[in-house]
Amino acid sequence: MSTVSFLLLVLGGGVAGTMGAMLGLGGGVFLIPFLALVFGLPMHQAIATSILAVIATSSAGAAMNVERQTVNLRLGMVLEIATVIGAIFGGVTANILSGEVLSRIFAALLLFVSFMMIWRTRSDIDAAAPVINGSFSSSYRDEATDTVVTYSVKRVPVVLVISFIAGNISGLLGVGGGIFKVPAMHMVAGMPMKAATATSNFMIGVTAAASAFIYFAHGHLNPMIVSPAVLGVLGGSFLGVSVNRRIKGSFLPWIFAVVLVLVSIWMFWRTL
Amino acid sequence: MDFCCCSGSCINLDVLENALNTDGLTTGKDSGAHHLVERWVGRTLRFGVWTSAGLMVAGLLLAWLSAGSLRLPSENPPPGEVFRSLLAGSLDPVTLMFAGLLLLMLTPFLRVLTAAAGFAAEKDRRFVVVALVVFAMLLGELVFSLR
Repeated sequence: MSTVSFLLLVLGGGVAGTMGAMLGLGGGVFLIPFLALVFGLPMHQAIATSILAVIATSSAGAAMNVERQTVNLRLGMVLEIATVIGAIFGGVTANILSGEVLSRIFAALLLFVSFMMIWRTRSDIDAAAPVINGSFSSSYRDEATDTVVTYSVKRVPVVLVISFIAGNISGLLGVGGGIFKVPAMHMVAGMPMKAATATSNFMIGVTAAASAFIYFAHGHLNPMIVSPAVLGVLGGSFLGVSVNRRIKGSFLPWIFAVVLVLVSIWMFWRTL
Repeated sequence: MDFCCCSGSCINLDVLENALNTDGLTTGKDSGAHHLVERWVGRTLRFGVWTSAGLMVAGLLLAWLSAGSLRLPSENPPPGEVFRSLLAGSLDPVTLMFAGLLLLMLTPFLRVLTAAAGFAAEKDRRFVVVALVVFAMLLGELVFSLR
């Protein structure tokens, strides 16, 4: 591998990680199009590389969130049963499907993600009423307001089903699946947004690991590609979190939503 | 009734009590005690990510230094072979990178085992079982994939 390819992978991974962290998404949504469309990697290899990047960013973020107790560890572990089953099915299915079919499904996912990004900008999204007499009660310290937030959770069976779907998409397309789980945990289960985001991110590492060895066994992990891409995404995600603290504005999701729609069209067009 | 501690954090005790008196699936019972699981899990994740990142960086640096003689295997080697090679003191760049990838893929496995041990230390048997179920599924997938 040439030095240029190496630098391109680190840079591409870095940009994907930064953009993902700025939007509260994993890096996969941006990394896979970069690897498949710009770097010219076969779709299965792009997905496998993204799965490794997703494990790295999820684990690094979760290490901090778990110690801050924003992660609802017990709820996360129960939901992981569903995401792991979904991811195993997704990983096995992905290795049966052709790269073209996966590209088309991924193009559809990008459209969904861009829709969700705009939908999340609605101001009333964060106004879910707190659940008092539910299950999996927990509390964490909200640093922004300097208060202890206590909450519990309702409709866990529904969230289990959505977690299975998220795990399935994760194993199939190499993304974290937070775009499905976070709204479900917040809007359906009534978790505070901060706890929902942290718990979803915490689950992503185990979910991604559930399909990682399937891709490894199929020979889709090239260490010369995965290593620079993972390091780039890891560095980029830290940069994204830091940038996110400085840049605030509702225009960001709109810009990225347009970018994702264009990438989706490009990805679909390539398979024709 | 609000309880404010010296650090300035306030807890509404009525809300907390309601939350604790739920169906038993509560995380609140240890909220004031140890948070042992959280600490152990956090450390495991940190160790896994940064050690694997270190192995990848070392592998890439050595690969860059030995660019002319670098040979990639035609297919991914079995994990056992990578670890045997590593334990034998191999500083082959591809082995180091594979070791980094495998450690990264195994970090969530370690995290689930650590959580099971933490729940056991907190005498929370129900979640020891949950963690072991997740671990068994991950292990099943690993064995099924590499058989």
